[in-house]
Amino acid sequence: MRKLILICAIAIVYTSCSKEPAIVDTDLDSGTFFDQSVYQPEKYLVSVARPNPTALEAQKPVVIAIHGYGASTFEWDEFRTWAGARTDFSISQVLLGGHGRDYQTFKAASWKDWRQPIVNEYEALERQGYTNISFAGSSTGCTLILEMLADGYFEGHIKPKHVFLVDPIVVPGDKSLSLVGALGPILGYTTVDNTKAEEKYYYHYRPYETLKELRSVINVVRKELEDGVKLPAGCSLTVFKSEKDNVADPVSAVMIYKGVRTSAGGRIDVNMVASSLHVYTRLSGRDIAGSAKDLENQRTTFTNMAAALVRVK
Amino acid sequence: MKKISSTLIVCLLLLATITSKSQTKSLDIGLRFQKTQDLYYENGITAQYQLSKRWAIGGSYYTSRLGSALSSNAIKQDNFIVSAAYLFRPERKLRPFVRANVGYFIADYESELFDNLSNTSAIASADAGLAYEFNCPLKVSLSLGYNGITGSGDEGAGTLYPVFYQASVTWNIFKTHSR
Repeated sequence: MRKLILICAIAIVYTSCSKEPAIVDTDLDSGTFFDQSVYQPEKYLVSVARPNPTALEAQKPVVIAIHGYGASTFEWDEFRTWAGARTDFSISQVLLGGHGRDYQTFKAASWKDWRQPIVNEYEALERQGYTNISFAGSSTGCTLILEMLADGYFEGHIKPKHVFLVDPIVVPGDKSLSLVGALGPILGYTTVDNTKAEEKYYYHYRPYETLKELRSVINVVRKELEDGVKLPAGCSLTVFKSEKDNVADPVSAVMIYKGVRTSAGGRIDVNMVASSLHVYTRLSGRDIAGSAKDLENQRTTFTNMAAALVRVK
Repeated sequence: MKKISSTLIVCLLLLATITSKSQTKSLDIGLRFQKTQDLYYENGITAQYQLSKRWAIGGSYYTSRLGSALSSNAIKQDNFIVSAAYLFRPERKLRPFVRANVGYFIADYESELFDNLSNTSAIASADAGLAYEFNCPLKVSLSLGYNGITGSGDEGAGTLYPVFYQASVTWNIFKTHSR
């Protein structure tokens, strides 16, 4: 009898939890407005804006900027704004698969789906003749780039010149992510406290299916780092990591430092940044205006990235 | 780290010396194998001293140096714990138990680049499982545990995760006297 009561109680608790959130139209989750890159890809993707580059254009650096989990191209808008009218390099802002659309699309996408637009843009640029391609990732965008480096994707393609990782996630700040397999089906989804401005660019609700995918790709990359990742010849990698970050634990930088080597066997560059913001290069849309230190951190990082992109090796 | 290891070993030897005078107690010494959910294998040594039929105290040292970090780039980290366990069905060979653990954690980030990151932490955990005592002095225990203190990214050691599984294989060095 006791067992029966216990089973019934568990069943009631399990079934009484709503698995679908109440989405409002002002959230990105609603699908009432997609990421701008869906409507105007020519403003975001170099492969669409300039599909037939001249010989000179094809040699100029193109950096593919990749946002994080639950985010959208907005995360790299400030880099484009900072670059302004510069013509010595181009920025191609990729929207991850399943992102920037609506809750159901997000829920249905796997981490391999998230990665596909990165591959599409890289291969489109390669086909069009671009020869100087780099990557800039933030948060999970970094994890996806690391996975591509580790699984040998670039063996059959031109080699990237630089990889910049801003607040990469290999270890989550919230360690309960490791329990999403057991707790996820009960909870259904989690919520994020976005600001009003962020609600248009970041998913408010995070279906547990996507958290499982996040956990999965994090674990894949952590193990690959443990085994060792070698960069393609001529490729450099720089990590920029906030010293305090409750989304991507700073120890992620330690794992990348220990796990990635240059093609010559050397160490990669790591810059630990005095900040407590996750993706500290994105200041727009936050609750409080960036402090002088935050602005300096952002500018310094963008300056370092641009300098590396245009530096002649 | 070496000082702590030495202290732990001295404590275990003292415990063995004291208990060797007792003909009714047991001291199980052996190996501990641990896997943290979504992180490392960490292995080491353990000793459990049975105070009474139902109560036992003990200490363990386990490290990724003898697990995931043995032949990989995994972070080298060490755990030192003391514990108190309560045994159910003490007369049976298969005994459920619950255990409370406290201790100290330290990770080696191997570069001054990470000097500003926290690499130490207190450990406060609990685990529950089953211990089986064979006819010979061999005992095997399996348990599932939960770490009360984990790293949050803002503070604490980043590689302290909540859930772990452990197995211990021990030898009761006083069994021939106690039976």
